Amino acid sequence: MNLSDLLRRWRALTHKSEMDQELDDELRFHLERDIEENIKHGMTPEDARYAALKSFGGVEQSKEESRSARGVGLIENMLRDVTYSSRVLLKNYAFTLVVLLTLALGIGANTAIFSFANGIMLRPLPYPRSDRLVVLDETALKRGVNSMSVSYPNFLDWREQNKSFEDIGAYFDSSRFALTGAGEPVEIRGARITYNIFDILRVAPQLGRTFTADEDRPDEDAVVILGYDLWQRNFGGNPNIIGQKITLSNRARTVVGVMPRGFRFPEIAELWIPLALTPQLFTRTDHGLNSIARLRDGVSLAEAQAEMNTIAARIEQQNPVTNEGLGVGVMGLHDNLAGDYHDGLLILLGVVGCVLLVACVNVANLMLARASARQKEFALRAALGASRWRIIRQLLFESLLLAVAGGALGFLLSLWALRVLIKAIPFQLPFWMNFNLDLRVLGFTVGITVLTGLIFGAVPALQTSRVDLNDTLKEGGRGSGTVRARARSLLVVTEIAMSMILLVGAGLMIQSFLRLRRVNIGVDPKNVLTASVSLPPAKYKENEPRIAFYKQLLERVRSLPGVESASATATLPLGGGGWGRSVTVEGFPVLPVGQAPVIQHTVVTPDYFRTMGITLLAGRDFNDADAKGSPDVTIIDERLAREYWPNESPIGKRIRFGPPEDNEPWHTIIGVVGTVRHQRVEADTRKSVYLPYQKMPVNGLALVARTSSNPKDFVAAIRREVAQLDPDLPVSRVNTMEDVVSEAIWQPRLYATLFGVFAGGALILALIGIYGVMAFLVQTRTHEIGVRMALGASARDVFKLIVGRGMKLTLVGIVIGVGGAIALTRLMHGLLFNTSATDPLTFVLISVLLSLAAFLACYLPARRAAKVDPLIALRYE
Amino acid sequence: MTKQQSDLFKQGTLELLILRLLSSGTLNGWDIMQRIQLISGEVLTVTPGALYPALHRLEARGLISAVWRQSDNNRKAKFYGLTVRGRKQLDTQRKQWEQFSDAIALVLRDA
Repeated sequence: MNLSDLLRRWRALTHKSEMDQELDDELRFHLERDIEENIKHGMTPEDARYAALKSFGGVEQSKEESRSARGVGLIENMLRDVTYSSRVLLKNYAFTLVVLLTLALGIGANTAIFSFANGIMLRPLPYPRSDRLVVLDETALKRGVNSMSVSYPNFLDWREQNKSFEDIGAYFDSSRFALTGAGEPVEIRGARITYNIFDILRVAPQLGRTFTADEDRPDEDAVVILGYDLWQRNFGGNPNIIGQKITLSNRARTVVGVMPRGFRFPEIAELWIPLALTPQLFTRTDHGLNSIARLRDGVSLAEAQAEMNTIAARIEQQNPVTNEGLGVGVMGLHDNLAGDYHDGLLILLGVVGCVLLVACVNVANLMLARASARQKEFALRAALGASRWRIIRQLLFESLLLAVAGGALGFLLSLWALRVLIKAIPFQLPFWMNFNLDLRVLGFTVGITVLTGLIFGAVPALQTSRVDLNDTLKEGGRGSGTVRARARSLLVVTEIAMSMILLVGAGLMIQSFLRLRRVNIGVDPKNVLTASVSLPPAKYKENEPRIAFYKQLLERVRSLPGVESASATATLPLGGGGWGRSVTVEGFPVLPVGQAPVIQHTVVTPDYFRTMGITLLAGRDFNDADAKGSPDVTIIDERLAREYWPNESPIGKRIRFGPPEDNEPWHTIIGVVGTVRHQRVEADTRKSVYLPYQKMPVNGLALVARTSSNPKDFVAAIRREVAQLDPDLPVSRVNTMEDVVSEAIWQPRLYATLFGVFAGGALILALIGIYGVMAFLVQTRTHEIGVRMALGASARDVFKLIVGRGMKLTLVGIVIGVGGAIALTRLMHGLLFNTSATDPLTFVLISVLLSLAAFLACYLPARRAAKVDPLIALRYE
Repeated sequence: MTKQQSDLFKQGTLELLILRLLSSGTLNGWDIMQRIQLISGEVLTVTPGALYPALHRLEARGLISAVWRQSDNNRKAKFYGLTVRGRKQLDTQRKQWEQFSDAIALVLRDA
């Protein structure tokens, strides 16, 4: 297209009426010249005019063709298509509404799930160059442990020997601190970190400074850095806070810095104190640290992993006892955080994609149905000289217009849906999950909107524009039903197949979830209230006051009316905590740390098993006499008992904990209890031992109380009892045990719910689709039905004919769907619990269900067909 | 713009005829129509519905240009004339046409 061409097109567009006028003038000249000539040949003026007009043919047609020859086509026609399309759509508001809702649901669901996935997997973490941050952990692959926490001396060696990282830091997961002396005592989550962590994250404090290497040592570590929110909330944003002393868990610390707003590390810490460890305090066999590092520029993850393998091997060589079989794992920080969600989100994206496809198919179906009704309109336009391309374009415009409106609605819907999704996460949202709108989400929405419009617009556009003028105008708008019916049947088969896949997926998910919910985790969570109370070590330095505090507290709670029993534990089942140590059994070979089994340690007070509903299978429970000075005793769980003493009673046998060289005292087994799933509902993890609290008085316990009525009614009373004993103690994590269990399986629940909702939606769409096609079939074949009946077919035959046709489509769809489901549900394998991805029962049940539903969708049109009065039908033309 | 194949052929022929007629002077639409009929001995007839779009297409492609001026019956009419590009186009198209019709004739005679 050259410049003059452009100019001409521009003139054509801007001077449209002028050019139309010119065209009129030119044609009028021609006509008048014809008339003149006819008169010259002896016609009356009237005849002359009539003859001229007749020979002239379609004036309007030549105009339309001349206009398109002018090349204004593109823009002018586009504008006209848009106005025309919107007028058509507004006039058919019922159709438009159904289409818009279908699209809004499809696009909305996709945008919501995409935003969800985007917030978790795609958005970079809120640290500069966060893609270079990695997590280091230890592995013991020979024992099947692919991730365990880090020991301090190992960390020091890594830091000294590596060349892959700018620096490596270490920290403990957030712990609880009691902040006193600044209003009400409050429990603050804080983290102990090596001094270099902030540099690794590349985040500078807003006020003051970060820690120095010197402060990262025992006894020189009386410093603290505050988080922005804590600073604002508890210190009124005091700009002179630097240098002031605050009391944390009864120890005075000087504030040296305040971090900027929104800074979080790790997960939920609002203040930071130096790690201040030494290899003597935290030896090679003490695993408990986390480690984070920043890759040097140009070093890949694989290169870093390779170097760390070498370093780990070197450390193992130098420390064969403690480090046998230990390796190092390097993993991107983001992958590490989001890894849990990865599979589920991908599958959800696939699922909503299917739903959108079904929605597209359904809309295409509706468009086709409507297009048949509009055939006369298109034939007329074609007769007036509109090209095929022009009609296709107009139909595509209508589709795009619908898609854009549907997309806009869907977008609004997604904002709401996203909020619902986020609410399904039972814990406080991790800081790194960010679900705010961003360009990626907007781009996604626009992208799928346009794609949707093209997909559902293309089929009817191509179908409809292929009109045979003569046939259509003659047929009086009934249209060439057969071709269209075939296209629509194809769409219905697609819909049924997709729904089949989604329903099977949903069936599997829901089954898996129900099985998960029925899992016996070994405790009876009904009517049990839990609440954490931790004692600041500075105030409760000695063991005796701790033991005395909890004893008193439990006595007070037990005496509350309605409390049947009460006890306490250091690790609540499924509460997210855990303490593993290696174990040695008397009479069995002594294994080094790397090979000895690791066992879950749970410290409990007497009456714990009865309160939690854990069965005592043999022996006795702990009692108040299991205290300092009495023999060391332990209760083991059934799995441990069965492993070592399958044919005899373990009571009286002895075990001991920790690395063999530590020579810890032997503990005598006094009881065996049922297995409890401490870490995960899905599977038994570590075998467990229980130890009496008085022998191991840690400073934080979770209270558990079995009540005779709704446990939530006891929250206030328990808080009051704690406050009466020590007004400085915060009570936190108050929850019913049922909620703790239910929160542990929130992901399967969310997936099952979403799968169910989406599959249900797809099913409804598919049923609407099959109903529409059958109704259309009945409508276009009324005449034929009339003939059949006139020739002696019974109402039953007609009914069978229609239903038979619908069910044939359904069955083809189901067969294809079963094939697709077998291929696709395999991908869900990792998300399913105790449920085979090709569970035959689910497949059969869903097929039957789908057939029944489809039968109902065919039933109504079929009944209408059966009621056809042959006389009326034949006259119906 | 996308027309069916048969249209293209007819279109091309009509356009060639128009170009040929205009090569000897400017004409208005009505004149062109009369002349095609006259010269072809009433074998070829053109309807206005085909002629004017063809004229406008040629104009749009810059092969002919138009001016409004008095016609012999004292009315304003649109007169078309060949542009330089149009003349070149006529030459090439005429050559192609002659080759084509020679070829057809050859086949019809010898085959």
